[in-house]
Amino acid sequence: MRDLHLSLNQTQRVRLEAALHELQSLTPAAASAAAVTVADTIPVNQEDNILKGHGTSDQDGEVVATLCGVVERVNKLVYVRTLRARYKPEVGDIIVGRVIEIAPKRWRLEINFSQDAVLMLSSMNLPDGIQRRRTAVDELNMRSIFEENDVICAEVRGFQHDGSLHLQARSEKYGKLERGQLLTVPPYLVKRKKQHFHHLAQYDVDLILGCNGFIWVGEHVVVDEKVKATEDQQKSSDEAENFTPLETRKHICRLANAVRVLSALGFTLTVELIIETAEASASSNVEVNDMLGAEFYVQTAEREAKRRADLLRKKNGAR
Amino acid sequence: MVGLSEGEKHFIRGGIAQDIRTDGRRRLQFRALSVETGVIPQANGSARVRLGATEIIASVKAELGKPSILHPDKGKVSIFVDCSPTAEPTFEGRGSEELSAELSVALQRCLLGGKSGAGAAIDLSSLIVVEGKVCWDLYIDGLVVSSDGNLLDALATAIKVALSDTGLPKVNVSLSAASDEEPEVDVSDEEFLQFDTSSVPVIITLTKVGRHYIVDATSEEESQMSSAVSVSVNRNGQICGLTKRGGAGLDPSVIFDMISVARHASQQFIALVDSQIAAAEADE
Repeated sequence: MRDLHLSLNQTQRVRLEAALHELQSLTPAAASAAAVTVADTIPVNQEDNILKGHGTSDQDGEVVATLCGVVERVNKLVYVRTLRARYKPEVGDIIVGRVIEIAPKRWRLEINFSQDAVLMLSSMNLPDGIQRRRTAVDELNMRSIFEENDVICAEVRGFQHDGSLHLQARSEKYGKLERGQLLTVPPYLVKRKKQHFHHLAQYDVDLILGCNGFIWVGEHVVVDEKVKATEDQQKSSDEAENFTPLETRKHICRLANAVRVLSALGFTLTVELIIETAEASASSNVEVNDMLGAEFYVQTAEREAKRRADLLRKKNGAR
Repeated sequence: MVGLSEGEKHFIRGGIAQDIRTDGRRRLQFRALSVETGVIPQANGSARVRLGATEIIASVKAELGKPSILHPDKGKVSIFVDCSPTAEPTFEGRGSEELSAELSVALQRCLLGGKSGAGAAIDLSSLIVVEGKVCWDLYIDGLVVSSDGNLLDALATAIKVALSDTGLPKVNVSLSAASDEEPEVDVSDEEFLQFDTSSVPVIITLTKVGRHYIVDATSEEESQMSSAVSVSVNRNGQICGLTKRGGAGLDPSVIFDMISVARHASQQFIALVDSQIAAAEADE
């Protein structure tokens, strides 16, 4: 909610407060008890000598949180997982990053982690698709694959012994992202799912929810044509520029603004919620730009409160 | 600011050409403006202005001083701009000096008029207390807290709002018989005088990207600009100042075109700022 600087009028303020209050009342008691702010006491059973982890401190025999976040317990270990923190990678995560440096045999990527990630030349498929040893020539031609500032998506391969983070891109679906925009949201808003690549066929848009909070919204690219498309582009770049079709662009901007609204309100970003928000704006004839206005924020908060209330009712009804 | 890949640059340029920018705005639409007044209690007037993700704090401090010998009937106004390193890592140390100086000069040009103070946005003769003896010195400070493009327009807006928030204490001067003696000054801490800010101009920067120009560019869009023309326009639609940035040359006819567009945009923007000031004052 920190980034929310809206000029609300009186009724909008009341409505937003009501919606947020309802959202708060809907959260299960266990979840709200696990959330702590600085100096909150963390209830522990003193008998089973617990281990105090990150974000905790001992104050007069009580365990006290020194960070804002969610209390996590693993066996005897108690620690606080902060929400507004940098991304913490896990093996297999799909991430979106930006190349910041080309080093011998590797690219360095900014992925909102405490250090730069490394993508080795040997851990990605070559454009020709042939499996072979990487030669010195390949190394010299690295810039033809990715340049500085390119946005790419890849997968977390694991940590090396020296603690550096390695990525891999051994599939057609990974690689350079073009013709679209990159959005950054707090990483905790993106939950790990089976699917992070979404092709929204009805809009002709690709939506990639990187686990590191980098979200790509761009024109859909057919995987096989990727190589061909880049060639085409190079050919036609001197001629009239071939821009994204207007319809697709409107969809991209609408989805991007939906992501902006949802992340500013602090709602977990799922593809369903993003599409629903974008659809709601389109069906109520909200202009793409007006989605960032106060009224749409309030509407979105109200819609989410209603959705969660319905969900809860359904769950209770089923029981 | 981080760099952009070729694909993103192409996307931004395409958006401007197709009249729908990355956040869905049209070329001549501003980002959301929010205004707060009275954010610094020690200052005579202050304001916080947010234009999208750009955030500016402006303060006006008034001190009693002596008017210059050349212009005994006029007060003094000075403008300083500082860019906080919280806005961008490159502003750390001396990194922001050049930008700060550029912004200060542009604002001084647009708001302060000539050396004699003629044509200044702030009526300098209203700052005089006793002619030739006592006048108000206004120190206007702008601080860039967060930077996402279009700093000049946001700074000018912040200064306009801060000036409208400014109250100068009422001063009673007891003139002694001998005219060369220092007059005794009694500053009231209850009565304040507002001064007229209706003629303070706003600055509209038109950033040229490709063949088109846009208002209120974000820093990503500014990275794609060829040149930018800042026009300061007052309430009557008169041009008070003009500065151009960026290396690329412009055809004179394009500049005239840009001026008329800026004039048109400024009238909407002034109305928006006025309504925001009224709302901010009602909030207090």
